Amino acid sequence: MATEAAIYKAVPRPSLWERIRTSSAPWVFMAPATVMIFLFFFLPVVLTIYISMTNMSVATFGKVVFIGLQNYIRMLKSRWTVKILTNTGFYVLTTLSCFNVGLALILSLLTTHINERVGTLFRTLWLLPRITPSVIYALLWIWVTADAPYGIVNQFLSPFGIEPRNWMNAQPWLVVIMANGFVGASFGMIIFTSAIKSIPEDYIRAAMVDGASTLQRIRYVILPMIRWPILFVLTYQTLSLLTSFEYILLLTDGGPGFYRTEVWALHAYHRALSNYFGNVQFGYGAALAAVLVVIGIIASILYLRVFRFNELVAEPKIEAL
Amino acid sequence: MLIRRIKTAIPYALLTVITAPIIVSYGWLFMSSFAKRTEGLKPYGFTLSNWRFLWEPLPNMPSIWRITANTLAFALVVTILEVGIAAATGYALSRLHFPGRRGFLSLTLILHAFPSVTLLIAIFYILRLLHLYDTLLGVILVKASLELPLGTWIMKGFFDNVSWDIEMAALIDGCSRFRTWWQVIIPNIRPGIAALSIFAFLSGWSEFLLPYIFLTSFNNWTLSVLIKRLIGDFRFVDYGLLTAVGLFYIIPVLFFFIFTQEYLLNIYTGGVKG
Amino acid sequence: MEVQLENLTKYFGKVLAVDNLNLEIKDGEFVALLGPSGCGKTTTLLMVAGIYKPTKGYVKFNGQAVNHLLPKDRDIGMVFQSYALYPHMTVYENLTFPLKLKKVPAEEMRRKAQRIADMLGIGELMDRKPGQLSGGQQQRVALGRALIKEPKLLLFDEPLSNLDARLRLAMRGEIKRLQMSLGITSIYVTHDQVEAMTMADRIAVLNKGQLQAYAPPEELYDRPRTLFVAGFIGNPPMNLFEMELYQEDDHYKLRHPDLSLAIPDSRKPRRQPSGRRVIVGLRPEDISIGPEGEIESEIYMVEPLGRDDIITCKIGEIKVQTVVDSRLGYRIGDKVRISFNMEKVQLYDPQTELSLLWA
Repeated sequence: MATEAAIYKAVPRPSLWERIRTSSAPWVFMAPATVMIFLFFFLPVVLTIYISMTNMSVATFGKVVFIGLQNYIRMLKSRWTVKILTNTGFYVLTTLSCFNVGLALILSLLTTHINERVGTLFRTLWLLPRITPSVIYALLWIWVTADAPYGIVNQFLSPFGIEPRNWMNAQPWLVVIMANGFVGASFGMIIFTSAIKSIPEDYIRAAMVDGASTLQRIRYVILPMIRWPILFVLTYQTLSLLTSFEYILLLTDGGPGFYRTEVWALHAYHRALSNYFGNVQFGYGAALAAVLVVIGIIASILYLRVFRFNELVAEPKIEAL
Repeated sequence: MLIRRIKTAIPYALLTVITAPIIVSYGWLFMSSFAKRTEGLKPYGFTLSNWRFLWEPLPNMPSIWRITANTLAFALVVTILEVGIAAATGYALSRLHFPGRRGFLSLTLILHAFPSVTLLIAIFYILRLLHLYDTLLGVILVKASLELPLGTWIMKGFFDNVSWDIEMAALIDGCSRFRTWWQVIIPNIRPGIAALSIFAFLSGWSEFLLPYIFLTSFNNWTLSVLIKRLIGDFRFVDYGLLTAVGLFYIIPVLFFFIFTQEYLLNIYTGGVKG
Repeated sequence: MEVQLENLTKYFGKVLAVDNLNLEIKDGEFVALLGPSGCGKTTTLLMVAGIYKPTKGYVKFNGQAVNHLLPKDRDIGMVFQSYALYPHMTVYENLTFPLKLKKVPAEEMRRKAQRIADMLGIGELMDRKPGQLSGGQQQRVALGRALIKEPKLLLFDEPLSNLDARLRLAMRGEIKRLQMSLGITSIYVTHDQVEAMTMADRIAVLNKGQLQAYAPPEELYDRPRTLFVAGFIGNPPMNLFEMELYQEDDHYKLRHPDLSLAIPDSRKPRRQPSGRRVIVGLRPEDISIGPEGEIESEIYMVEPLGRDDIITCKIGEIKVQTVVDSRLGYRIGDKVRISFNMEKVQLYDPQTELSLLWA
């Protein structure tokens, strides 16, 4: 048998240009995304950590000094840290349990229980808050909760003898949590609905034959069978809520008063990017953000391990380029 | 019999009650923009003057048309960038063999779950470094990049569903990989591309935080920033005007929402970003 | 074009899909790759097409290795099980796509498309989209698309298995006729032995990535070299059962508590088995039921097929199947006498699974 080299010599090889063109295909496809992800994900992560170890602020922009962990130490010592941590925990836990999972479950159970088309209509309506631009959505809440004679809430409550008031100021947490919850519920609703729909009919029928009531069916058949989607929504939304501040910024901006509804992510934003306090402190803000960045990285790697990894193991079926 | 009927009615009643706030507030938004004054749900008098911003500039504010053009440009360019790049990246991740493919796939997934708002401070710094701070282009690049992992992941899903046989047939018929992608595969995922485009457009059109933080000059604003400023100035003065501007702003959103919601529902289930 | 596969080996990760395959295909020959699903036949075909890269070994066209050539440079046409027509193109666009890529002038393209369409009887369908066609019509278009660039080698990947039974029969004849008249070397992957037997000049039987046999259909049927081929080819399958082989007065004989048989000289084993036990094979048509039969048995099962019945007879522990005219009306439990045509007996070594007669 001829040697390998001899065999290949007998065949005209593709030109260099041809070979470069074909073997470079994946890189051409990947290049734009790589640049953008490098610029606006990778670099920012590194920079956040770096800036958090400097005294960078509007005052010091020209002469930035590396100050090590001082911002973090300051963060630990700040008397506001405990307050903001408590706020954040309260906000995340309440919104998550009452709305993003609780209400989402109720909505998906109800809408799958009734006539299919009516159910879809209700689910569609619940997507409205999610799809509405955040400024408009916040505006709606501002009006709904406005003082008499404008606010709708007051109009509904006054027949019950409840003093009209500006609910945004009177009950800021209630409003913030409900506003976020109405958006958050639709995410879980969609996931749970498709999970419930994919439960084989036979299980439900079997339970009905066994004489289970509606509530028993939910408790013993449906809920156990969608526990993975529930866990998924729970963990995913925890991270979302922990790091999002857009609606709070628009509704109360952390107020009323001093830090009444200020959460961690909003605090980082206030410190670094808003002129609210007259002194924009990038370094300190970045330190606050870095905490969330680290939590975000760890959490997303965990999701990857727990939920999805097997899906992406499939290898392409074509090896020629 | 009656008891049974009541029983079947319970879920409908419950749903109506918990959904009522949404129905009421959106109904009110519409009504209020044509009313002289509203108290709660009661309108007083019909007027078109709330819509005066369409023909005369508001005091101390840029022209609405300029801002609308900005918003449109922002949303469109973000859509083109995001969909175009995601279509290339998604294809490579779904279909091509290359070293690092698995790494990229994991990265896409991680970034897709990663809360990008935490990076705004550093992005602010990068934009200043690139001299793109307070430019529409800068915000466009940031928005497109931050949405890219989600878009790529969704696109990859669409590509995964195209039959391998078709791609093999194209290669045997004489296509290069580029041509296969462009002439054979892409035409077969048009519905997916349409869905992602609408999603990207709406997301760009509605974006608030990025333009609000990174666009300071007046003439660069988008509609969301304008409305945020209007809330500051008019909050307690002119509800009618605010509702009218707000309605003007969400017309495209409602339009797409009504006509393409099944598509969008698919994206929301496919790509999970809360 | 001649095709040679030399030591062709393919691993997917750690899974061995094709194991050191050697095969030669003559110019103009129609070769079927036959085997159960997962035997590596499609993988082999895709290596010939250039879609997969061999882990080891060579694919050679006319003696020249083509391992490094892209599919588009191999001058091949392929027909897929799913037809793989481009859903967004019309039939005409599908047919002419390979020509368009070669930048063939429009006039010539139209002429060639017309000729192919006439040949395949799809001239009426030119403006339709694949979604509007029946399975059989799609199959014809797919065939046309593979043929239009006049390839040197045609590859078929189970092209008929998505068609209903009647259409499959018709297309079988048509593909064979076309291939013969055009004289294009063809490789045809199938799991259907009838398809392979009726169409192919030679059949390569694969199992678990290994070549079991490579021979013309009649030889494969009459002289299966391995136990796998013996059991795989033929329907109903060959009866296989274990007996003890011994020699007496220069003659070979077989025994079993329930049965003893003599081997005629024409079927004398050419090699000694590794143990005393051998596997005896007899095709159903070589077993007959009738009063002159020397073996007593009881009918265990009757499966009516219409014209024929498949009858399972029990001889003690041994069960054998035979096919008889259903008008004879045998029933379960009938005591019958049967005879074996020992001139057609096959013998296999249970250890090596190789034939003692042919391997």
